[in-house]
Amino acid sequence: MSDELEARPEDYEAVGLDPALGEGAVYGRKDFLFNSAKLMAAAAAAGPFFMATKQAAAAELASLGADPIATSAINAAKKLGVGKLNKTNESGLQALDDKNFTGPLWKKLTGTDIGVTEAPFPQLYSKAVTQHLAKSSELDVFEASPVWIPDLADRGVIVSIDQWIAKYKAQATLRDYHPLYRSLMKYKSKTWGFYDDGDIWLLYYRKDIFGNAALRRAYKAKFKRDLRIPKTWPEFQETAQFITDQMAPKVYGTGMGRALGNPGNQFYFFQQFRANGGQFFDPKSMKAQINNAIGVKTMNQILAQNKASPPGVEKLSFVDGWVQWLSGKTAMMMAWPPTGRISENYAQRDKAFSFLPKSKIVGKVGYSTVPGLNGEHAGAFLKCVAADGKNQEAAYLFAQWATSPSVSLQRVQLPYTLRDPYRVSHYRSKKFWKAWPSAKQYLKTLAEGANHGVLDPIMTGAADYANALDRAMTAIYAGKSPKSGLDEAAAEWDRITDKIGKDNARRSYQNFLKLPGSTSKNTVAAKGLSVHQ
Amino acid sequence: MATRVETFRRRRLRAASSSFDRHIRLWLIAPAVLIILALTIFPLAFSLWVSFVEFDFSVSNEHPWVGLDNFRDNWRDPVWIHSLKVTAILATASVVVELAIGFLLALAMLRPFRGRRPLMTLFVLPLFMSPVIVGGFFDLFLRRPFGPMNWLLNQIPWMGDVSIDFTNDFPWTFISLIIADAWQWTPFMFVILLAGLSSISDELYEAAEIDGAKPRQSFFFVTLPLLMPIVLIALTFRFIDAAKLFDIIYSLTRGGPGTDTYTSSYYLYQQGFEFFHLGQGTAGSWMFLVFLTVISFWLVRRLLKPLEA
Repeated sequence: MSDELEARPEDYEAVGLDPALGEGAVYGRKDFLFNSAKLMAAAAAAGPFFMATKQAAAAELASLGADPIATSAINAAKKLGVGKLNKTNESGLQALDDKNFTGPLWKKLTGTDIGVTEAPFPQLYSKAVTQHLAKSSELDVFEASPVWIPDLADRGVIVSIDQWIAKYKAQATLRDYHPLYRSLMKYKSKTWGFYDDGDIWLLYYRKDIFGNAALRRAYKAKFKRDLRIPKTWPEFQETAQFITDQMAPKVYGTGMGRALGNPGNQFYFFQQFRANGGQFFDPKSMKAQINNAIGVKTMNQILAQNKASPPGVEKLSFVDGWVQWLSGKTAMMMAWPPTGRISENYAQRDKAFSFLPKSKIVGKVGYSTVPGLNGEHAGAFLKCVAADGKNQEAAYLFAQWATSPSVSLQRVQLPYTLRDPYRVSHYRSKKFWKAWPSAKQYLKTLAEGANHGVLDPIMTGAADYANALDRAMTAIYAGKSPKSGLDEAAAEWDRITDKIGKDNARRSYQNFLKLPGSTSKNTVAAKGLSVHQ
Repeated sequence: MATRVETFRRRRLRAASSSFDRHIRLWLIAPAVLIILALTIFPLAFSLWVSFVEFDFSVSNEHPWVGLDNFRDNWRDPVWIHSLKVTAILATASVVVELAIGFLLALAMLRPFRGRRPLMTLFVLPLFMSPVIVGGFFDLFLRRPFGPMNWLLNQIPWMGDVSIDFTNDFPWTFISLIIADAWQWTPFMFVILLAGLSSISDELYEAAEIDGAKPRQSFFFVTLPLLMPIVLIALTFRFIDAAKLFDIIYSLTRGGPGTDTYTSSYYLYQQGFEFFHLGQGTAGSWMFLVFLTVISFWLVRRLLKPLEA
């Protein structure tokens, strides 16, 4: 029996949950044996899906008493007796979570179906807004990125969930969140959803390349110091170029997708710009600052990274970058947490990941915070309740259950989705530590990354600002000078600010500046709130 | 008494029946008119209203009257002006290339030869493909370093070491888009022009030959003038369609690099459905509609001229 199945009140206390919430949760030995036998039989029949079945078993047992947060949601949802909840999810792998795991399990435990409407990431926003504008009540739960929350909350597309958190005594579940992610559920002092995807960027590097004796000798001869995992951006660019000079075309120093909108070049800029000391706007005048000397320096550093990358990197999508990485063609990659899992073939054992090659770098990958320390918190999702939905309370209960400590722990371990660890209890799960030999280090670094992480600008007009910068950066890749490209982007940012209204934008930006992770000087670590494994 | 009531009922029935007969046309077209009103007229009227109010999701839930502000905002947006130029360049270039190749193909396929039918079937196949698929296909084909295009060019001995970023470097981005669009739509030109060429009577060519006309003269003085109305029809249809170029842009370049390949349709889609600046996006759509109407009107007038003559 795994440690998760044995959750006791003291376990909840250890991760910051209220142990009193566990009281009254009755789950007898007989129930356990009976359910285990059923699940073992199901697991044997499932064959290739054994791993997910084990996770379903653990989540089910947690929902039936072991995890009070999950259990209270199940019991209340059963009483509500809603026939079906409809929700959005990012198309592809993320949606498999709802379709293969969370949806069927919720149905089994409560009798409520989960209908999934899939859409690419930016269109999840469009789906939510369109439903609201059309006054439709089709969708009950939205997967919303934290950057959209100000717009969705201010325009009445989503509802605050505070009333239900109080009703179902779920405050304790919030304390188990990493402080960076916990802050993202709040806007204007209200809670707008349960955070559900720890999208922090780390630096993934090849231990075998950095340990290569000949390469180390050559590096020392050239730079008069030891080759090490880059700690600063100039060091990153120097190391990447050095590896490319020594090993290309077999291996390149780095190589990350820079195609327009895929994943979005603004993430690279936001991260590095703030590590270099930049601020997006002058907080008083709200004039865009991305074209100042720090912005130009950041852009030049990014161009230097491109030079150390495989040819055509400007048009590589994020998945293309993964393909190069898994094939052993790149030595370093900054990316989302699934990179650690796919590097070890943890994800590719599931057929859903057959679009990626099997990893040729198993056991060779190390994890580090990004150079400059401040990794981007890029994208991510909250489970929000639709203001126009007909089944708001049931929608809330589904979100509470799916993100509860025990159920979410199983979901972030699913091989076939892109759901990433975000709770303190995820980082400290002894079972997760055993997922592959270096999984403990992976989780430790993810927690460390979140301690120093910086956020995408979470403010009104965020999508417009991001798009303008992404476009400008691809124009610079295609030959425009960094200064003139950033000047154009800054002018566009100013136009967007004018359109939103300066006062409105200023309020929104100043609200953002209060969040931990808004700047490199205002991180969770800088506030003394770091979480360690 | 009962008889009088019965008579009264019969009269009313007859009157109703006769009224129905008289207005049968109205009754029959009523459902269609209602559907058109609901699906066309109402959205058009609504969109006209939206273009004069502030309908912007990132600003407010209120929709105050803003007059021509949305139209002005478009004119002040350099991306919109740029997208209009890109639309004009891409639409004109694509249509010219498609016309030239389509015409040559039609001439080549005019006379029967062995294998003509399967070849014609192959030629028209791209027409049945979704433009998004065509864009995706060209993206895979042209993208560096995975796409085979650079590899193929490198196999040509005199080409040397070729490494072109077809979807990122100017002017290759434009050339790639024109090739992708032409690959799909040249068959349209080909089919129409082949029909036009086939309808020209052989007797005219025989008469020209008797008058001593050489093949080149027959082409310029018989074929071209008689084909011109068909060419104008094909040009008009294709130009209107090409000016709305969206799908291939969406899947091949996403408007990039930067805003280099933003067409008006792509720009308006982003404004309206990605960022929900619905007022500005709708105003832009109306402006675009006016431009297209003026151009189409001019083309149709040109089209009617030879017919009137």
